[in-house]
Amino acid sequence: MYKYSEIDKKIVANRVKQFKNQVDRRLSGKLTEDEFKPLRLMNGLYLQLHAYMLRVAIPYGELSSKQLRQLAFIADKYDRGYGHFTTRQNIQFNWPKLPDVPEILEELSKVEMHAIQTSGNCIRNISADHLAGLTIEEIEDPRPWCEIIRKWSTFHPEFSFLPRKFKIAVTGCSEDRAAILVHDIGLRLIKDKGDIGFEVFVGGGQGRSPYIAKKIKNFLPKKDLLNYLEAILTTYNQLGRRDNIYKARIKILLNELGIEKFKEFVEENFKRFSNKKLILDKSTIKNIFKFFKLPSLKPGLEKVPEIKNSLFLEWKNQNVLPHKHPNYSIILVSLKSNEKPPGDASSIQMRKLADIADKYSFGEIRVTHEQNLVLPHVENSRVYEIWNELLNINLATPNIGLITDTICCPGMDYCALATARSIPISQKITDHFKNYSHQKEIGDLKIKISGCINACGHHHVGNIGILGLDRKGKEFYQITLGGSAKENASIGQIVGPSFSEKDLMGAIEKIIKVYKKNKIYEKEDFLSVFKRIGIKKFKEKLYDNN
Amino acid sequence: MIIIDKISERKNEFIELPDEKLSKKTSLENCLLNLFHWKEKKKEIHEKKIKVALKINSDEELIFGENDLRYIKMIQINFLNFKDGRPFTLAKKLRKKFLYKGEIRASGNILPDQFVFLLRCGFDTVEIKEMEKDTWLELLEFDDGLYYQP
Repeated sequence: MYKYSEIDKKIVANRVKQFKNQVDRRLSGKLTEDEFKPLRLMNGLYLQLHAYMLRVAIPYGELSSKQLRQLAFIADKYDRGYGHFTTRQNIQFNWPKLPDVPEILEELSKVEMHAIQTSGNCIRNISADHLAGLTIEEIEDPRPWCEIIRKWSTFHPEFSFLPRKFKIAVTGCSEDRAAILVHDIGLRLIKDKGDIGFEVFVGGGQGRSPYIAKKIKNFLPKKDLLNYLEAILTTYNQLGRRDNIYKARIKILLNELGIEKFKEFVEENFKRFSNKKLILDKSTIKNIFKFFKLPSLKPGLEKVPEIKNSLFLEWKNQNVLPHKHPNYSIILVSLKSNEKPPGDASSIQMRKLADIADKYSFGEIRVTHEQNLVLPHVENSRVYEIWNELLNINLATPNIGLITDTICCPGMDYCALATARSIPISQKITDHFKNYSHQKEIGDLKIKISGCINACGHHHVGNIGILGLDRKGKEFYQITLGGSAKENASIGQIVGPSFSEKDLMGAIEKIIKVYKKNKIYEKEDFLSVFKRIGIKKFKEKLYDNN
Repeated sequence: MIIIDKISERKNEFIELPDEKLSKKTSLENCLLNLFHWKEKKKEIHEKKIKVALKINSDEELIFGENDLRYIKMIQINFLNFKDGRPFTLAKKLRKKFLYKGEIRASGNILPDQFVFLLRCGFDTVEIKEMEKDTWLELLEFDDGLYYQP
């Protein structure tokens, strides 16, 4: 894991002091709320429906047990005893008080954490494949690259007041678990004639106008990464629209200019402004990579023992993945039980999980963009033991990748922008499909739920997407089908008129029926069936009143 | 309004005149011209080799002809809104693309919290209200010179 240098420590400590000063000026009235807003946002502090919300950065989703314990401490002392893991691999606290926030930031800095650039119109937390460094098929570990980008983008003097927020994701695999094609910039490490470099995508995004990113560079040499990112950001900062907040993301600029014209600007800026000091030399890269070596893994069992316990076997089947070291496994810890909103963890669970990580996984934990957690290196021989411990804290729900593993935004329960609730919908789905064998029969299926058009719950790229709407004061839900955030990324198609909350589950049940009836082999997944048969059959079933 | 650089207050050597006074003025030396006046008087400035200052708004585009910059001692970029980050890129462009060596000044709707960013992007001075001077200079004390960007 990355460890802070003296410079990192000083920069974060300095920011805590600076933010304290800003809060003091706000409380004394020297700063107006309008002036304070972009400053607090740059420190992850939002004003929500009922209270402030603090979003803490978890760079590329990597956490230590010590950090997780500190998050539990913060949840207890300054919040209501829980935290919410987000789709950008961060964590949110929903109830902090403004005067406490500088102190919270200070507590975070003690464990090398912060809330810098987790919101605001700047470059946000860099996200990555949650299985980075763990799989055989990976070309190269994306985390060191995320760390390089994190540093470059932190307090960038030129790019702290962009037209709108800016999100970058990196993967090292052809299989995309980081949703790079729905990011402002998506980077994929690829190999070309023996050299490793980046395939660069730009202009993806969700929100009210969803777009799949377009490829701007087939192969970018590693050394040029920062200069090329700088060229894209310069182009965006200069030309991105500032007249309409809904048209301010880079995706709109790119689509107004066209990819070819946009690329011309980027290449011109790359040529003109390339800064020699930003060229990454081999020793800089090597030094960062040192932090991300695998821990020393020892020989052991080739396979996870098949203990005769059906609950364990279900969980093992669903939540345990092979590690690139043959004697280890990767454990996915589902935060989608039927007891809590998706992505929520209590301080008790956090503490206990930190202990489990220390005992079984070298003190490492990761956060996935699908709002689950990962214990990255667990000996095959200890998987059963760890399951028992996870079961005790209700973190052994066997549903990774299944219909109840929903992505869900906070919705109207917390968010000032929401037009409908989303958490109760997710809970209804979890209840309705709670039987494991029923879920397994349905197979891989991603349901993503947003409580408004801003699409924080990624509904556009859900195999089944659910969008909460307000119709004359009543909550209605629009369904989209066929979306995907993976390497075959696509935007879902609207199936037809929206459903009331009461009718929604019935509609989902019908969609599942059409899918089951039309699959031509046992393991054909929902997306494949949808692509083959199209939306028509689903429409007929959903809106057939006979 | 006063002008400060990263250390203290600075004398403002440029004057901004209303249109009617500007048209009567015999010499444009050290006058602060807007983009319209600059275009109008450019020929005269080149011919007489007069040194002026230029004021543009954050939403205006700057296009320079050959040798224009040698007659512009100072470029003042006026922020229409502190959230509009274009001037940061514009200052970088002036320094790196046009190799401009004169003064770059920020004015308009800017926050003291932006001072370090302004200086780091190539601005030299800011125009602020006199009463805000202490806050602006105090906030610079948070800058310990440690940055991630070279």
